[in-house]
Amino acid sequence: MTTDMIDPLVEPPVGPAQPAEAAAEKSLSKWTLYSRRFMRNKPAVAGVIILIVLVLFATLGPLLSPYAVNDMDFLSLGKGPSAEHWFGTNGAGNDTYTQTAIGLQRSLMIAITVSVGTTILSALVGTAAAYFGGWFERIALLVIHFMMVVPTFLMLSVISNDSGGVWWVIALVMIFIGWFFPARIIWTMTLSLREREYVQAARYMGVPGTRIVLRHLVPNIGSLLVINFTMGIVAAVTTETGLSFIGFGVKIPDVSLGSLIGEGSTSITSSPWLFYFPALALTLLTVSMALIADGLRDALDPTSAAGGRA
Amino acid sequence: MRRALGWLLMIVVATNLTFFLAWGFLDPRSNYVGRRPPLTPEQIDNVLIPRNLSDTVPLIERWWNWFTSIVLRWDWGVSPTGQSVNEQVAYRMWVSAELVLGATIIAAVLGIWLGVYTASRQYKLADRIGQATSIITMNINIIVAALAVVLLAIALNEATGVRIFYVTGSSSPGVTGFFPTIVDALQHVTLPTIALVLVGYAQYHFLQRSLLLDNINADYVRTARAKGLTKAQAVRKHALRTSLIPVATQVAFTIPTIFTGAILTESIFAWQGMGRYFLDTINQNDINGVVAVAAFGAVLTAIGAVLADIVVVVLDPRVRVS
Repeated sequence: MTTDMIDPLVEPPVGPAQPAEAAAEKSLSKWTLYSRRFMRNKPAVAGVIILIVLVLFATLGPLLSPYAVNDMDFLSLGKGPSAEHWFGTNGAGNDTYTQTAIGLQRSLMIAITVSVGTTILSALVGTAAAYFGGWFERIALLVIHFMMVVPTFLMLSVISNDSGGVWWVIALVMIFIGWFFPARIIWTMTLSLREREYVQAARYMGVPGTRIVLRHLVPNIGSLLVINFTMGIVAAVTTETGLSFIGFGVKIPDVSLGSLIGEGSTSITSSPWLFYFPALALTLLTVSMALIADGLRDALDPTSAAGGRA
Repeated sequence: MRRALGWLLMIVVATNLTFFLAWGFLDPRSNYVGRRPPLTPEQIDNVLIPRNLSDTVPLIERWWNWFTSIVLRWDWGVSPTGQSVNEQVAYRMWVSAELVLGATIIAAVLGIWLGVYTASRQYKLADRIGQATSIITMNINIIVAALAVVLLAIALNEATGVRIFYVTGSSSPGVTGFFPTIVDALQHVTLPTIALVLVGYAQYHFLQRSLLLDNINADYVRTARAKGLTKAQAVRKHALRTSLIPVATQVAFTIPTIFTGAILTESIFAWQGMGRYFLDTINQNDINGVVAVAAFGAVLTAIGAVLADIVVVVLDPRVRVS
């Protein structure tokens, strides 16, 4: 969607340097080229740094806190940030710092599971539908078009509410309702790939269809898949927080960023810190992932600079 | 015509599927568990059977009753407490529309304008600032945006000592007269609209910018310039027109997703619209209501798709000719 996003204050435009880059392309290894292009994009690097800090906070953060996630401190109920409770406490005396860290951990776990699942599923269905064609393609497309009309968010709410907010059930349902849209984009992209010479060559050499799909087609849309994966994390975090916010997602005693913000929103004027910290973590997470996706798009896919849609 | 039939079929299938899905996960009977004094199963049946909501009746019979009453009388059933689903939807869809349509139009116009403005200044300072701002606002969660807007509005109200903006509800009770009603509506609708526009405009900005950049150096734009149009005129009359088509399609297709997005906005600002209805029906095991919400969503998707087709016809002279 966007082209390179270089911070105007940090670096002058790099547009005219493009031809020189193309000449150097042959001598550089693929990964050096990717990383060099990525590092040139300052906001993307900032995104990576923010993400690393957030992941460290989610994994190591709870260890630094003397409180467990469900510990209640009856001496400080609903108190603001202090030396004892860095991010304050909620009305039940839970430590907001610990809860934010654990909530972030949970949101990340769901998001990564969902994004891995949808990426794999959409890549397999999309490429296989395009390569095999015939009845397989017709059925896959029919299912995809049908899924577009089905009220997916309603399905997600009902099933996850019924499961009592178990995180992996939520993740599974989110994979189930999330795969079809990327699958359709991948299908349209593979339609042109399947006519390429190397695919034809492999076919005439007698390479079986499943092998062509896995070894030739899927790797060739790799850059798209990587970008889809990062954008998928943003989408999954958004869906999950929305779901938990309205109370159909992760439930007490489990916490996620969405359920924490939902809790904070009920007392937003009297104890705003319950809202500030989870909201800050959530915003940093989605914005940093988006910046990374933007950097990856530039680094991996030079032809898409104009960014027209499939 | 064939297209419309296809959509109609899809809507019917999706709605029926939701009916069975809803019965698989929701049970109106559980609303009566824990009542004091406890109700006997017969008493519950006496309430539920006339409303076609009792699980003692075979599922296929419940489905037949539900289906025939819609087809023959356009009656979508009643909630477990006996409210008519038709009335609820008929009232709530306008509440949602007041919120969603305004926000969509503002977001689209703002996004397209920004896209045109930044595309004609590619890689200049304004473009870079615009891009950086949009990528951040696009990825702010709607919940965070809405709650932040609430906090700011409360601070503003306190600072001025006057209630400029209301943070809950879609209208105040007891307001009469033409102008007071409009002022009152504006006081309520402003904040949720700001929140929706804030997170929604950026997608149109990016799309319009990249599409216009594809077109701005095209031969026909240069021809227009050569014939003596200023750059602004050439962009507006020639480049923009072609690049507007995919953006308009995108706007049409996002209408249904904005309605689901409004679930969160409506629950934060306590609007009694379709989004709020979605939450209430699930929480109250109101199966007929849930199915009606699903059907509403499917119809909107279909309308979005048809609108997208119409927009292409209106904007693209080539399609009109063929």
